[in-house]
Amino acid sequence: MIIRRRTLLAASAASALASPAIAQSKFPSRGLQLVVAFAAGGSTDVGARLLAAAAEKELGQTVTVVNKAGAGGQLGFTEIARARPDGYTMGFINLPAVNTIVLDPERKAVFTMDSFIPVANQVLDPGLIWVKGDSPFKTMKDLVDAAKKAPNTVRACTTGILSDDHLAILMTHEAAGVEFRIVHFDSGVQQLAGVMGGHVDVAFDNVGSVVKRVQSGEVRGLAVTDDVRSPFLPDVPTTKELGYPTIISSSTRGVAVPKGTPADVVKVLEAALLKAINSADMKSKMDAAGLALKPMVGADYAKYYADLHKQATKYTEWALKMR
Amino acid sequence: MDALGHLMSGFAAALSINYLLYATAGCILGTLIGVLPGLGPAAGTAILIPITFNLDPTGAIIMLAAIYYGAMYGGTITSVLINVPGEAASVVTCIDGYQMAKQGRAGSALAIAAIGSFVGGIVATVLLVLVAAPLATLALKFGPAEFFALMVAGLCLVVGLAGNNMWAALLMTIVGLLIAMVGLDPVRGAPRFTYGVDELIDGVGFVPIVMGLFGVAELLIAAEKRQTRMIEADLQKWNLTKDEWRRSSGAIARGTGIGFVLGLIPGVGSIVPTFMAYVMEKRLSKNPERFGKGAVEGVAAAETANNSYANGAMVPLLSLGIPSSPTIAVLMGAFIIHGLQPGPFLFKERPDLVWTVIASFFVGNVLLLILNLPLVGLWARLLKIPFGYLCAGVLIFCIIGSYSLKQTMFDVWVMLGFGVIGYILRKLDFPLAPAILALILGPMMEKSLRTTLEISGGSFAIFLERPVALALLAIPLLVLATMLLRPRTFAKLRESDIE
Repeated sequence: MIIRRRTLLAASAASALASPAIAQSKFPSRGLQLVVAFAAGGSTDVGARLLAAAAEKELGQTVTVVNKAGAGGQLGFTEIARARPDGYTMGFINLPAVNTIVLDPERKAVFTMDSFIPVANQVLDPGLIWVKGDSPFKTMKDLVDAAKKAPNTVRACTTGILSDDHLAILMTHEAAGVEFRIVHFDSGVQQLAGVMGGHVDVAFDNVGSVVKRVQSGEVRGLAVTDDVRSPFLPDVPTTKELGYPTIISSSTRGVAVPKGTPADVVKVLEAALLKAINSADMKSKMDAAGLALKPMVGADYAKYYADLHKQATKYTEWALKMR
Repeated sequence: MDALGHLMSGFAAALSINYLLYATAGCILGTLIGVLPGLGPAAGTAILIPITFNLDPTGAIIMLAAIYYGAMYGGTITSVLINVPGEAASVVTCIDGYQMAKQGRAGSALAIAAIGSFVGGIVATVLLVLVAAPLATLALKFGPAEFFALMVAGLCLVVGLAGNNMWAALLMTIVGLLIAMVGLDPVRGAPRFTYGVDELIDGVGFVPIVMGLFGVAELLIAAEKRQTRMIEADLQKWNLTKDEWRRSSGAIARGTGIGFVLGLIPGVGSIVPTFMAYVMEKRLSKNPERFGKGAVEGVAAAETANNSYANGAMVPLLSLGIPSSPTIAVLMGAFIIHGLQPGPFLFKERPDLVWTVIASFFVGNVLLLILNLPLVGLWARLLKIPFGYLCAGVLIFCIIGSYSLKQTMFDVWVMLGFGVIGYILRKLDFPLAPAILALILGPMMEKSLRTTLEISGGSFAIFLERPVALALLAIPLLVLATMLLRPRTFAKLRESDIE
């Protein structure tokens, strides 16, 4: 029953495109879609589903999460960029995943950074460098020393080529003067299996993926790649504290709409999403999942969006040269 | 014996009226999801997560898990009745299940599938209780190198068993591997063989291909014969001969083992165990030529393995917090949404929840058997629908199924295109199974090989240094050697054909 209702909703959302003028008179007048470019169950999806549920209350319409996973997010991002710009199709954009896809000519992306209007950011999940709980690397210094002693032998894993984790490894290469043997996995889960099984030595990952495991001692956090400590991991030093102020990397996730969406519609979405993100219920649920909220809208989000692109450009070009 | 005490209180909770209700609702919803082609367990559970928002965490997980194994069973129904796998893991069931239906034995096929699923599910859950934690840790030692070796062994076994049709099987394998190459390079991210078509960036969809090759091709073949009914044989009540029970019980036992062990290894997915179990039965059978022509143990092996896998895959989730398949990943997402992080600490923090959920796996498997056995006759009677109506219904079913997956018409064209290709291949007597398996294994093989080489710094010696990987790579060589050295033993195999 529920499937049918949702399918019908999706169908009616798709067919009722004929009269945008009427739709805009009182936005939103029907159900909305929220495209997520990653698979159901991942940390982007978890955040998106919580946000969709909260936004439904603010917007007074259903918000259906549509997972369009594949190609490191490229398929879903393409979907968002090509959607009808009427505000009824929103999407989650993951930075710097969008940036690196745009910057890599081989990916032949049909979108650019200008294809999206960033509406409201939800999460900023800083990077975390971690090892197995019983690893000989007790500190970041141990790791760097080992990598210096024998270049290209310490195996460091990412969640994919040109992911924020890959960029963080390149930043470490530059800042610490080391070279890791880079292994590309597809997800945080594979990283976990790889490190726990002893197939790789260190993971460049995000705080949200392993908070509980660091707290329980199953894995050891060496450094958070940020300039302030994570409230979830107050005992793990930051890269800045450790003398590597240039290793700053995170994954941010927020809602965007396609270019051309009317400004008044964007305003409505912005207000509703911001309220949803700031609700107490959202905070407690995101805390439980280890995901740090970072509400940003309007000029703030736009500035972040532009600044991040500059930083990503530098490391993406470097990564492309290396392959 | 602490575990036993926990399990008992888990049962007390799982049998409370609320949880029993959630499990029943989950089984029914899951069966429906399984029946709908295209909508597999992963997409199905993801869509249904919101309805569990208002339940307590235990109830939510119980319901989602019930949806999961309900879907694993539901996929069987369409595989047997109309040769369309309702979800990917039921592909292998089509091979002999649909042949049985053609002989009027749809009821027997569905019954043995229900019984096999039940046994596989229950035994896997017992093993989950007994050996969960140590086994899961051991399974992590199974790295990319071993994974690659396992995939190679699986592919070689299927080709090697193709008998006199070995060249055709090899050709189909290569075709499958080539189709699997389309899309983004799994490591570098560059598009391959997409010829500028945006939809091909994510590769050619597996579900549309399978629905075309099996379902649509079957419709074309049936239409050619101008039948009045989809299946001409008379419908029989489900009954299995003593000999069939004997053969099935062996298949169920082995299927359970294969499914459970592969469930422990992250990333294997639910299709590989069904293929392996099927090939194993054919390999052990005294008359392998019956396979592909309605061998009941073929259905029993595949269905048992797929359900045993589903329950076995709970081991790495619950004991390590590592989901081994997309559906399990959705389930893990549900844990997280409800503020729970699966993993070793969950056993300590919320033993009540974990053991109630485990107890509910037993309850759910019993429920599925109770729900499904009486319905077997009802499902089988669907085949009495006049051919024209059923045919149109199946086609609509396939079109909606392939569209719903990604909501693009492209997949519908892919499905119809592969329907025609499937028809031609059937006419030419080319086996389809090797192509399907290659499609599944191809990307996993490529990715694991490249990851292995990244780990070893480019050296192939890693396969010689790791005993499990070496042993797995040696299996296909041994099979080949025995075939060459003892041709008589394999003469029988040659006569048969792994369709």
